[in-house]
Amino acid sequence: MRLALAVVSLLVLIGSGVVVYDQFHSRWEDDQRAYFHQALEQAKTPAERASLEGRQPKIEQTIVTAFGDARIDRCESCHIAVDDPRFASAKQPLHSHSYSTAMGDVFRNGRWERRHKFSDFGCTTCHDGQGRGLQVADAHGEDSFWPDPMPGYTIQDGWNREIASHLHGAEYMQANCAQCHSAKDFAGTPLVTRGRELFFKTGCFGCHRIEGLSAGTIGPDLTEVGKERKLDYLWGHIVNPRAYTPTSVMPQFKLSDDDKKALVIFLKSRRGATLSVSTADQFRLNASTTAPVPESVAVVAASAAPAATPAARGEQLIQGYACLSCHKLGDRDGGISPDLTNEGLLRDQPWLMDHFVNPRSRVPDSNMPAFGLPQADFEAMAAYLLTRSTPPAAATPAETFKNECARCHGEKGDGRGVNAIYLDPAPRDLTKAEFMNTKQEARFLASIQNGVPGTSMPPWGKVLNDQQIKGVFDYVWATFVREPHRQLKPRKVPEQNPVPMSADSARRGETIFLQRCTGCHGRKADGRGPNSVDISPRPRNLRNSAFIQGAPDRRLFESVMYGVEGTAMPSWMDYGLSQNDVGDIVNYIRSLNKAGK
Amino acid sequence: MAAAPKRIEHGEPEERQIPRRHMLAWLSGVGVVGSLLTGVFSSLVFLKPRATYGQPNRFRIGRPEEFPPGARMAIDTKRVCIVREGDKVAAISTTCTHLGCIVAPSATGFQCPCHGSQFDVDGNVTGGPAPKALSWFQVTLTPSGELEVDKDNEIQTGTYLSV
Repeated sequence: MRLALAVVSLLVLIGSGVVVYDQFHSRWEDDQRAYFHQALEQAKTPAERASLEGRQPKIEQTIVTAFGDARIDRCESCHIAVDDPRFASAKQPLHSHSYSTAMGDVFRNGRWERRHKFSDFGCTTCHDGQGRGLQVADAHGEDSFWPDPMPGYTIQDGWNREIASHLHGAEYMQANCAQCHSAKDFAGTPLVTRGRELFFKTGCFGCHRIEGLSAGTIGPDLTEVGKERKLDYLWGHIVNPRAYTPTSVMPQFKLSDDDKKALVIFLKSRRGATLSVSTADQFRLNASTTAPVPESVAVVAASAAPAATPAARGEQLIQGYACLSCHKLGDRDGGISPDLTNEGLLRDQPWLMDHFVNPRSRVPDSNMPAFGLPQADFEAMAAYLLTRSTPPAAATPAETFKNECARCHGEKGDGRGVNAIYLDPAPRDLTKAEFMNTKQEARFLASIQNGVPGTSMPPWGKVLNDQQIKGVFDYVWATFVREPHRQLKPRKVPEQNPVPMSADSARRGETIFLQRCTGCHGRKADGRGPNSVDISPRPRNLRNSAFIQGAPDRRLFESVMYGVEGTAMPSWMDYGLSQNDVGDIVNYIRSLNKAGK
Repeated sequence: MAAAPKRIEHGEPEERQIPRRHMLAWLSGVGVVGSLLTGVFSSLVFLKPRATYGQPNRFRIGRPEEFPPGARMAIDTKRVCIVREGDKVAAISTTCTHLGCIVAPSATGFQCPCHGSQFDVDGNVTGGPAPKALSWFQVTLTPSGELEVDKDNEIQTGTYLSV
């Protein structure tokens, strides 16, 4: 018993001794002692020696109030030799900060003079990190929850391994330089300038708003994104928007690593009010009644040199700006949006103008932003696109499918072309024999000939003649459907809706719709019901007016009563809907899509 | 526990030998008292903060060239007056030794605006309620060529740094 007590009490003593040693012995003290020791060896005057001998390790801190919130930087507790040029070749943490003329340092009378003195700027103003921290991991921001790790040097715990290697490098500090040096073309921050250029060139401004720069509304506001997000998120989100946000609609742009880095640095530099603008100035700017015109309009307008004809100017605009980071035109392909090569044959002027001003007026679920350019620029771009009206050289059906159809419908015809995920409604899966074999051939030919209104399927009638269309259809059938044509059973479907359109009928239709259809088509009939995410192809958006107005009563009746084979739409006749019930539903859907709405 | 006394009866007790149980008790005592003491010590040490959020007491004020010979420049935020005479530099406190107002350099030395204390150019009291002279702080030249004032380090009046 006594032996145990003695052993335990001694263990407690040792334990508390270890804790006390751990608490009162820090790495920064060792670093400072090492510095005093080495400096003493290099000291030249007795006074210098005496002052060094008198120094004890002490927490060194700089309090910086001139740049945003007050900063307390204790970095010099470890990096105590940071301003001692004799330690230029020492190892960290006793390495002295290098001098650079690019940063404004001056060599005068045999000594370097810093432009950014540590006593004025502290360390974290440029380097980020946690100024108060006295442990390496705390100070450098390796903690996953620290919002501002030192850019370019620290790789955090939770950072995505695949992209971690891209986040190294001093260039990332340019985002911090831009906090004060916010002039547009500041020479010291070339990557911020490049990123800003890319923000316009790749069309980011169409969806995203940055105060004073752009006015997009589809994507999140990026005015303060540098404050909200860390490097890894910005990089990862540009590389693959759906990696962090599975429901993101942002396209995956084709960018080189250098361009991604420039964009990340530009975005990291967006932190709302910059340090060079006082809070009062910012308040005045926000309160001013005249909203500043987004720079995007001016940037795009200035991008094109004066051109002789509207079409020539349109070509400059389309080739030089935004459009081709998504669309395909000739050899250039953004891989996200439809091919514009033959646009002059596919669309007419009113369609193009409506679509420019508001893409969703013609394709209600389009992901193209309304870029908000001046009307004259849109007219010039439309004029140019209308000149793209040389039909492609006649080709075999297989080549035609590959050139014109495969980009959306996929090379295997399965509706998974390169840009398919960006199209809503999605391209038809041509390999689904149940669907293909229960529709009239005339309907498919008409869809190719006239396009499908309200979707990205354009009318090919001016590009392909009837014979070529038939050839492509036969090719699709032989290659993808691979079933003999089935003899369709005659179905009892009225040509015209037998129930006259009336408010009463629409109300009855709405009641049935709410009971039967909302699970997939949604309460708003926009095709986004709770089950819709699990269904492929997705349920039809019944508020797509262009599509609904283009569909005859016969087709709507057939789809509801007999279902659509190859999709999740069941045959509602089997679930007890009478022809009159279906008539009410059709009236309800038509009432949602009245012309002129 | 009954075994222990038995052993003493059978063994040959030597007078100088400390009995085993006393030794153990002594060791336990050392352990308990020692860990208590370390605990108390470490708790007491924490009462004094190792760093405060005030302006640091050791700070750089710039290069010697910024202070021309004959200059007497008061830096109110740091509460120090930099004096340069020829090639010699010193830092004199501008905190009045009376009630802590900031004294201002004047033609005759320093003058306190609160209660009229007067000091000569070296900070010695020449009038008013101030009980003692203004302190002089150590000034050193850092390796990067800047002057550094250490307010933790008071030196004798009249000690200059040659630059």
